[in-house]
Amino acid sequence: MIISFLSGFDQVLKEVALALAPIFVIVCFFQWFVLRMEREDFINIVKGFILTFLGIALFLQGVYAGFMPLGQKMGFIIGALPYNWILIPIGFFLGFAAILAEPAVHVMNQQVERVSAGYIPQKIMLYSVSFGVAISVALAMARILYGIPLAYILIPGYLLAFLMMRYTNETFISIAFDSGGVATGPMTVSFILAMSIGVATAIEGRDPVQEGFGLIALVALAPILTVLTLGFLYSKLYKDLEEDDPEQIEGN
Amino acid sequence: MSQIKELVIEVIYSVIPITIAILLVLVLMKFSLADLTQFLLGTFFVFLGLLLFFLGTKIGVVPIGEMIGAYLPKTGNIGLILVVGCILGFAITVAEPDVQVLATQVDLASDGSIQKILLICSVALGVGIFISLSLIKLIKNIHIKYFMVISYVLVFILALFTPPDFIPVAMDSGGVTTGPITVPFIIALGVGVAGAFAGKRSSFGFVGLASVGPILAVMLLGVLFGR
Repeated sequence: MIISFLSGFDQVLKEVALALAPIFVIVCFFQWFVLRMEREDFINIVKGFILTFLGIALFLQGVYAGFMPLGQKMGFIIGALPYNWILIPIGFFLGFAAILAEPAVHVMNQQVERVSAGYIPQKIMLYSVSFGVAISVALAMARILYGIPLAYILIPGYLLAFLMMRYTNETFISIAFDSGGVATGPMTVSFILAMSIGVATAIEGRDPVQEGFGLIALVALAPILTVLTLGFLYSKLYKDLEEDDPEQIEGN
Repeated sequence: MSQIKELVIEVIYSVIPITIAILLVLVLMKFSLADLTQFLLGTFFVFLGLLLFFLGTKIGVVPIGEMIGAYLPKTGNIGLILVVGCILGFAITVAEPDVQVLATQVDLASDGSIQKILLICSVALGVGIFISLSLIKLIKNIHIKYFMVISYVLVFILALFTPPDFIPVAMDSGGVTTGPITVPFIIALGVGVAGAFAGKRSSFGFVGLASVGPILAVMLLGVLFGR
């Protein structure tokens, strides 16, 4: 089992080395011509790169040999069931669980709490974003099952976001769009996406490329709308309380 | 040492809930023991990988990003800053594991008709160009909403001419660039330049802009090479 799990690892090592090569060359260039840091400090940086290299390689092997084939199989088997609508609640459930603990989401929540001077507590942000992503994954599953074009969901979603931009300040807009990516962590990209490709393969008339993908875009939309909505509510509720431009607070 | 402990706890926290959730689904849907083992082995590798990776970015990638971010503005040469910003954005995106995973899945699902290397390079080029744009935004103090609205209007216009195979992939590419290696690096760069040029102006919005670039780049790829 473990031996077969490791097959193809040499290929992965080669790939990761190739992927890290450009940034490493740039770093060496800066070290030799510009930064000229102490030998010891530079060796530490190199150690960091070696750890990064090993880390990415192990992560990718786990994804390629474990998550991707299994995620696809799971999507394929459940998608072929007569009661495949069950994918919608499963998607909701997995989406919620994926976000609840994502470290990047916690960083964003702290930012929002600080920028709103504590009026939007981290807990409220966490549950709103998790709920938003859960709906996104459920929608993504429904989209594959019933063949809804991606644009039918994305265009109204972004129009809503643009509309709400008129009622929130620049700091909230910036955080909102920055946070689009935070929900799409390594677990979502590897497992849930593989599952949705599996579902699209199982259902007749669906194309794995056209319907299987799009999930990440939907997941990225959820926190944008959540942060804009909370920013909108915040400015409505606490307008008189808030005299200073929050950007000044963040600036330093 | 306590930093490592903190990191271990952070990675455990980020992996455990979704692992339990997936296990629950696997058990309830009566998947075989071999499937469960395969999943748990995968989780173990992913856990170990993320741990080493986060540790490595903390001591290697982020400090060097901050150093370059602090050095660049000292040159006072805006053109140079924009060019280096673009190259750095490209190089760091190529290294992003989320991008690798997406590109692999696209390559497999499309039976190789959308090649992995081609996709990774266009995504990285998109990030690079948009990092330069967001540096311009920062230095010239342009409101983010103009950038966002114009970029997304462009996205939807370009979508009309993009072959259907490329649209969902392009939209997904926007999300994966903001992965665990890119974000700290880009923010470090942004903070450095913001500190030198824009006084106390914040570098918020940097990551958001960097994720529109790949959408446009992959759509263009589709327009040029798609069926």
